[in-house]
Parts: sequence; C-alpha cells; structure tokens
Amino acid sequence: MNQKTVRRLPIYIALILLALVSVVPFVWMLATSFKNGPDVYTQVPQLLPLDKKTGEWNPTLGNYEYVLSISGLGTAFWNSVWITCVLVPVKLLIDALAAYAFARIPFPGRDKIFVLMLAGMMVPTITLLVPRLHVTQVLGVYDSPWGIILPNVASVLDIFLMRQFFRTLPVELEEAARIDGAGRMAIFWRVILPLSKPVLAVVTITSFIFHWNDLVWPLIVLNSPDYYTLPLALQQLASTESGRAYYIMAGAALAVIPVMVVLLIFQRRIMQGIAFSGLKS
Amino acid sequence: MASPVVAQRPAETPARPGRRRRPGIGRRDHLIGWLLIAPALVYFIIFLLYPALAALYYSFTEWDLHSAPIWVGLQNYTDLFFDDVKYPHFWKSVQVTLQYTLVAVPLTLIAALGQALLINSIRRGSNLFRLLLFLPVVTAEAAVGAIWRWLYDPQYGLVNAVLGLVGIPRQNWLNTPELVIPALAFIAAWQCGISMIIYLAGLKSIPESIREAAVIDGAGPVQRFFKVVVPMLRPTTFYLVVTGIIAALQVFGLVYVIFSGGGNRSVTGGPEQSGLAYVLHIYLYAFRYNAMGAACAMSFILLVFIMIITFVQFKFMKQEAS
Repeated sequence: MNQKTVRRLPIYIALILLALVSVVPFVWMLATSFKNGPDVYTQVPQLLPLDKKTGEWNPTLGNYEYVLSISGLGTAFWNSVWITCVLVPVKLLIDALAAYAFARIPFPGRDKIFVLMLAGMMVPTITLLVPRLHVTQVLGVYDSPWGIILPNVASVLDIFLMRQFFRTLPVELEEAARIDGAGRMAIFWRVILPLSKPVLAVVTITSFIFHWNDLVWPLIVLNSPDYYTLPLALQQLASTESGRAYYIMAGAALAVIPVMVVLLIFQRRIMQGIAFSGLKS
Repeated sequence: MASPVVAQRPAETPARPGRRRRPGIGRRDHLIGWLLIAPALVYFIIFLLYPALAALYYSFTEWDLHSAPIWVGLQNYTDLFFDDVKYPHFWKSVQVTLQYTLVAVPLTLIAALGQALLINSIRRGSNLFRLLLFLPVVTAEAAVGAIWRWLYDPQYGLVNAVLGLVGIPRQNWLNTPELVIPALAFIAAWQCGISMIIYLAGLKSIPESIREAAVIDGAGPVQRFFKVVVPMLRPTTFYLVVTGIIAALQVFGLVYVIFSGGGNRSVTGGPEQSGLAYVLHIYLYAFRYNAMGAACAMSFILLVFIMIITFVQFKFMKQEAS
C-alpha cells in the first residue's frame, strides 16, 4: 500500500459508516417486510427471515399480499401511479409555456406578474391549505383525484427554473427560425424544447418525486379510501396496524422502491438539478 | 392591463440590432404571450393568490368551513397569544418548534458538511457514496415516519440494539418527552443529502490555487479547514441555514406520521405534547377542531415570521455582496 492509500483509509472507513447509517434503515425495512409475524420480534436483531424457533429459512410474501389487498395499498398504488402520470406532464406543459413567455415574449405587465408570482412562493404551504380546501369544495373536486391534480397543476418554482434556462439559449437560433417563417409556437416546439432537455428532465424528475411522496395535501383533500394515494394509505396503515411492523414495512417498501429506481436511473441529473436549484421545499 | 404604448418593450430587453420583425408581430406577440401564461396565471390566482388573501381574511373571523365566517377582528390573534385556556398548547408548539429548529438545523449542516468534505477528498467511489447518502432524501415522509417508528421501537428497535453494543441502555425514544426532539432531529440529519450536495458544489468551487497557496504557507489540514474552507463556504452555509430554518419551522408530515396511531386519523403531539410542531398544531385546529379562523391566524403568524427571516437574509446578502 502506498502512502496515499493509507492516508485515505480513515476517510473510506468514515464514509462506509455514514453510508451504513443512511442505508441500513432501508435494508431493515426490506428485511422486516419479508418476515412472518412471529419472526419479526426477536431479542437479538435478525437480518434474515429465519424462523424464530427452528432458525430455518422462512421468508414470506404474505405481508405484501395483505397490504396490497386488505389494507388497500394496491388501489392506492395505482391511484398514485395514474395521478402522478397525469399531473406531471400537464404541469410540465403549463409551466414550460409560461416560462417561455416570461423568458422571451415581451408584453406589457409581464414582469410585474412574474415578480408577483415569485413573491407568492414565499407563502408557506400551511397558510394556503384551508382556503385551498374551500376552493376545491367550491369547484366540486373535493374528495376526488382531481382535487389532488388541480391544486398542483402548475408550479412557480418550475416556471422560474425553466425561465432561467430558456434565457440562456441564444436568441440567434430563434431569429434564424423566424426568418425561415416559423411562428412563436413552432419555435417553442422545434427550437426551445429540444434544446432544454436538461432543465425539463430535472423538473420532471423532481416533480415526480415530490408528487409521488406528497402526504399533506391528499391528507386534507381526500376522504374516501378508494381515492387514497400511496403515502396517505401508508400513513393510515401505520396508524391502524401500529403493532404490526411487518405490514407497515411492506407498505413502506411499496412507497420507497419506485422512487429509488428513479433515483438510480437519473442520479446524475438529480444531483445537478439540486446543485442548481435545491429540491422542492 | 394593456399599456397604451403597445409597441414599447420593457427596458431590460432592449431591441437588438439586426432583429428583423414583420409588421404587426408585436401586437400578435402580446396576445401569444398572454395566452401562454394564461393557464399558469389562472392557477396562480385560484390556488395561490386568492388562498393567501383569503387566509388573511379568515384569520380575522370565526369560521368552521360550513357556515358563513363571523368577523371577530383581532380576537384570534389576542386569544392565541394571551388566552391559555382557549389555546392551551399554542406556546408549547412554538417552544417545540423553536427547539427542534435549534437542534435540527445545526445537526443537519454539520452532518452535510462532514459528508461533503469526506466525499470531496476521495476520487474512487465518490459517486457511489454520494448516491447512498442521498437515498433518505427522496423517501416519502410517510415512509420515513413509518421506518423510523420501527427503528426507534423501545423493545425491538434497531436503534436501541446498536446503542446497546456500546453500552447505552434502552430508551423509549418517541415516548420520553426529553428524547423526542433529539430523535426527530436525528431523522432530519439522516436526510441531510440536499445540503450535502450543495456543500459539495461549494467545495468544488473553491479554487485549487487558494488551497495550494495555503499549503505552501505551511497551513495544516485543520488550519486550512478553518482559514480557507469555512470562510469560502460562508455564502453556502448562510443559504443553507436560512432555508434550513424555514423548512424546520414548517416540519409537519414526519411528526404527523410518527405520532399518529391507535385509530383512524387520531394524532397527538407526542408524549406531553413534546412533539407538537407548530404546523401540526395548526393542522389539528383546522382539520380536527374545524377552527379555521384560528388556524389561519396561526399560519399568518408563521408567514410573518418567515418573511422576517427572508428579509434579514436579503439584507445580509446585500451587505455581504458590497
């Protein structure tokens, strides 16, 4: 071993310990979720799904079956999937159109509106919840999937991020397209959007993660279990089955794994996006 | 809102020389511009502007969401501040939230800076460690709450088992008033990945030449850390402290899940209200006791507090810049 490696050894040991703190909760979640009820509660923590008495290999998928069917997490999973899949693209389109106008189409009052919108970002979510609930009741979307989609269908932060990016694109490209006879919308679709893949990717991924994970708004706007999203159903499960960790961990795994997959696939873009903007907060 | 001088463009987008415009495109552009922002603007008015103003109005009323609001002037505010029979836990929730902020924010930043420094000093494997340390960030708060409730379990929890290895006796983390805030703050530090990434970007932006100059001047690693790294990271730290405080003051989802249990949608603020975060308190008044007016008043107190912090940050940054 050369000197440099020896000097770096403590650094790697520290990092491995920190990474363990970070990851072990998820490993423990998975481990618990595959155990039979009685095998979960052992005096000495047991990572593998072994039978408590005989010590034999004794894994099960029963916890997943139970929470997916009986606790309604199956329905909630699909609710979350389709709501996110409708919400994110529509939101992306609305935000991108507005961002393009704010970045490139001068019209009177534009910048005042933009500043007003930015100021609106400062208002804490909790302040908005009661009147928003009232608005959803007035619009007739309370306790329905649309009650989740509509109040989330645009984001000032995303508009701001996209506008900043659009402004960095060279104006000359647009002018060239315009000389070739392209109108505003053609320029938007054929010139601006293809050049903006990095920012579109960041906004799409962070939106997906945010809405997939969101607990607070569904908690307020949904009442019927049929419409529950996955985080809300998981919270209910954790509340009603609070003595049965194996069910709760199976539910948690269902909520966590899709996001982990997205993170693994898009990690580079996500990290860049955060260094650029900070995640939604 | 159309201004009389339609053709005039805003000052910050000066006409570029050589920019060819067909006649009439300016006026049509205005229309397209309005059309493009229309959906976002409608959203903004219905779901942001109106709710913010309505919340302010409701904070001066007594309202249960179903009947018409009754104007009560400043009574909600004075009752919250002074009537500890009507709102027995208001000050407790303020205290809990400030304590949580005071513990969680520094702990998170120290963890984030430590991780960033370690990752920054290695080459091989840095992406892997960055990814692993980031995993807790993308996890739903419902799952975070559920997982940590299980980890903190007094009898079978992994936390007690691990601490037992170094001789620390079992604790009932989430049921002992003094331990609730440290337990919650540890979860916050566990989720420090965003701050870590931002610190990492800050570290990368420190010019190599400065580090080399410090080495040539004979500065050791400790001296370099305090004399070079910490001062160079000051703007980053400042940004993270402010955003961290604002986020910590609004902690809700996590405590909601951690302290929900024993029945449908029943939530407490933990043992002796030791985990009664301010926003949880608002939530209980709004959606459990239907006291919308009082809830709106509480949320406006929070709004003003956050605006003051943001304003101070703004002043400070300006000072720093000049």
